Amino acid sequence: MKRVKHQDAFAERPPAKAAPDAKQLRKMAGDWLKQRRADAEMSQADLAARLGLKYYTFISQVENGFSRVPIEIMGAWASVLGLEQAAFARHLLMYYEPELHRLLFGAESK
Amino acid sequence: MSVVAFERKQDSGEWSDKELSALVAAFGAALAPGTGREWETGMTERGDAQFYLLSPLPDQACELCVSRIGGRYVLEDGLGRLLFEHRNLELVGLHAKAAVPSTSWLMVRAITLWCAIRSTIHERVEPLLVDEELFVQLVPQLAAFV
Repeated sequence: MKRVKHQDAFAERPPAKAAPDAKQLRKMAGDWLKQRRADAEMSQADLAARLGLKYYTFISQVENGFSRVPIEIMGAWASVLGLEQAAFARHLLMYYEPELHRLLFGAESK
Repeated sequence: MSVVAFERKQDSGEWSDKELSALVAAFGAALAPGTGREWETGMTERGDAQFYLLSPLPDQACELCVSRIGGRYVLEDGLGRLLFEHRNLELVGLHAKAAVPSTSWLMVRAITLWCAIRSTIHERVEPLLVDEELFVQLVPQLAAFV
């Protein structure tokens, strides 16, 4: 499995100017997750199997931007992709809860 | 010799019109005007069709998802919990209909609200009733003294 450098993996950010709605942000998170999975050279089915899911359809649901990565499996998702859990959660928070992310980490991380 | 043409079940690819109609019909109440819900379709990377029931604005997150994998229909919620799976879409539709969160959620909200109102009324009115009870008991005794 290909490991990704954290600074590269977490470099992408939502555009600063526009204020995308929740759906758009989830889609951006999904695209980012899809890219990280591709970097790890895994299929949706591989990832689902490693997460203990019976079907891989939920991975598609998340990557298509219709659902979030549930907090309960966020750590495992990060580990399977070979990413650091805290950085992974922090990056996803930027899409899922941008205001909370701003309050916690300030403008420096935007 | 006459050959009966059996309808071939679709195993992968986009939803057929018949499948989509069945899904939209199953979610009919959930998609009624005024609920604010919408639906969308998508595909997995393997080309399996997915149907998403989306919550109202502003979130528009997936509440329920029906996917078709190898001729089998899989019903999941927005957290990826497997709710039901079967080869019969109508049966999956029935389960999907029952799994729509709003009905039960609204019921729970209504019951909770009713319990809260009852509890508040009880807390406010009961002391008054106790006072009144004391008053009713004391008045004849006071009258006897006078």
